[in-house]
Amino acid sequence: MDISTIAIANSLILGLSIASIFLVAAIGLTIIYGTAGVINMAHGEFIMLGAYSVYAMQAYFGVPYFLCIPIAFVIVAAIGFVIEKLLIQHLYHRPLDTLLATWGVSLVLIQGTRLIFGSDPKYIQMPGFLASNIELGGISLAAFRIFVIFAALALITLVWFVFYKTDFGIKIRAVTQNREMAAAFGINSKQVYSFTFAFGAGLAGVAGALFGVLNIVLPTMGMGYVVQAFLIVVTGGGALLGSAIASVATGELQSIFAMILNDTFARFLIFILIVVFLRFRPQGLISAGGGRR
Amino acid sequence: MEKNLYHNKKLQWLTYLVVFAVLGSVPLITDDAFLLNQLATYGVYGLLAVSISLCWGSGGILNLGQGIAFGLGAYGMAMTMQMQSQAPGTIPPFMANNALEELPIFWEPFWNTGLGIVLALLVPTLFYLVFGGLMFAARVSGPFFAIMTLAILSALATVFVALQPYTNGVNGISPPGALMIGEVMIDPYSSLAYWVVFALLLFFTFAAKLLNQSRFGLVVRALKDDPERVRFLGYNVAVYETAVYALSGLMAAAAGASFAVLTQYVSPAQFEVGFSIGIVIWAAIGGRNSLLWAMLGAFMVQGAQSYAGDAFLNTWILILGFSFILVVRFLPGGFAGLVETILGRVAERKETEEDFDLESAKGATK
Repeated sequence: MDISTIAIANSLILGLSIASIFLVAAIGLTIIYGTAGVINMAHGEFIMLGAYSVYAMQAYFGVPYFLCIPIAFVIVAAIGFVIEKLLIQHLYHRPLDTLLATWGVSLVLIQGTRLIFGSDPKYIQMPGFLASNIELGGISLAAFRIFVIFAALALITLVWFVFYKTDFGIKIRAVTQNREMAAAFGINSKQVYSFTFAFGAGLAGVAGALFGVLNIVLPTMGMGYVVQAFLIVVTGGGALLGSAIASVATGELQSIFAMILNDTFARFLIFILIVVFLRFRPQGLISAGGGRR
Repeated sequence: MEKNLYHNKKLQWLTYLVVFAVLGSVPLITDDAFLLNQLATYGVYGLLAVSISLCWGSGGILNLGQGIAFGLGAYGMAMTMQMQSQAPGTIPPFMANNALEELPIFWEPFWNTGLGIVLALLVPTLFYLVFGGLMFAARVSGPFFAIMTLAILSALATVFVALQPYTNGVNGISPPGALMIGEVMIDPYSSLAYWVVFALLLFFTFAAKLLNQSRFGLVVRALKDDPERVRFLGYNVAVYETAVYALSGLMAAAAGASFAVLTQYVSPAQFEVGFSIGIVIWAAIGGRNSLLWAMLGAFMVQGAQSYAGDAFLNTWILILGFSFILVVRFLPGGFAGLVETILGRVAERKETEEDFDLESAKGATK
């Protein structure tokens, strides 16, 4: 193997890692947007709350990292559930207003976190065996990034299972396709929306538990993820598979562009490509089933 | 005949005149240089809020990336001012620090003040025309469009940071001198600077108001309610949307250029997502459907931030966030909507009283 093949292989692997991060960030948003049609601008802050939940669990109770991940899910899902009950529920017929209201929510969450935990960076401890680098034939990747790739696969399997193999999933899909008809069959659509929102928020919490290790934990850490996650969802069209494909495509492209140019221009180029792509396919790769309200 | 005084056009114009008369009389009352500069900056924020009200309130195009035109306009003006203080043939110090030997080609036009200002306004407007044209022709609208503007905004911010040798990266450009137009210096701490911003605000607000009341404005408002129906009536919706979006871009660019004159500083912070969404918050709290109220919203929020914000530094963002949530939840029309409702109630009561008088005068017979 000469050097350039190694470089290309390296950047493809790195692209896969970037893709897994995109997907983990976008998966909760995909569910919330794809089923409830809510533009949740507070998604980044849900991620941030997930990271802080892990930090708090570790710092105050000494909970091991792997146990922190499901705890982050539960905590952020609960917060999401309350926000849905208090605010989002009243705005389902005004999609633009959900966008604005959730932006207000994100301001409150950032500042609230800052008041409680302070604005200095926090760090999450991870198990030692994930801190190493794995090398294979000149290709190297941090073990934790490989863990994130597997986590992305696990999460998407989990979501697929919930959506297609459980009663709750059937109800969600029924409400997404036709709310009135679902209601006529005795499904409490309000309740379904609340739990869907909480589920999506919980997944963002898991994302935060993972990203808190990759980056330092700050009250503002969510801001960077929300735009990226939205681009994935919009490009994917709101469906789970669409988001997965969009993550892999943009992740790999970004990694390849970054190898040729540099990181910033790679990101800029991706943005431009997405704009051009949406010009020709505004509904995204795979549009979410059913009529949108 | 309109019963609700809020919808009375003559009264609306009168309110606009009164508000602007008050704003225009400020330099006659005070000559505190710091206050004038601060109020002029509020004027810039007001202009931004008006521009958002035009495209969001009238056209229904939620634009979370108004910082694009604002930032580009500010950079254009800062570049013009930088070159004014530059001896011919030299390059700005930060370029030399970044190992550039010659002036980059796209800086050349800014030697000429007039051309520089025109570019500061034209480049953002053209950008909006192209980007808006692409998006609206593809019928990207509503939340999707909002997300796309946000994406472009953050992309621009990263590019301006990355192009360190050409834009001085995160540090931004701080021209050493005030803007000179011919022999006249626009000192940012003077009543002249205030008048300039005031004139821009006056011009653009009244132009937007006239536009809203024109046939063009009628079509724009119609497409906000139902673009599909407007399309069926034979209008090219994309053209109208692009036009409104680009016009609001021009206003934001003018605001950006004035901002650079007032602060003598520009940095990628002007492209911050939080700032652009802040503009939307001003317009929403004031009332996005009214140009004037959107502008007042900017004054209220920014004023409260400067004066109340110092008192509870940490809780200010919390207060802003909560009030924004409450406005969206309970007052979708902002303060303007509140005033409209109250005036409507008053008109209704008057009407029923009149009816009652009429009935009793007739002897209440049917």
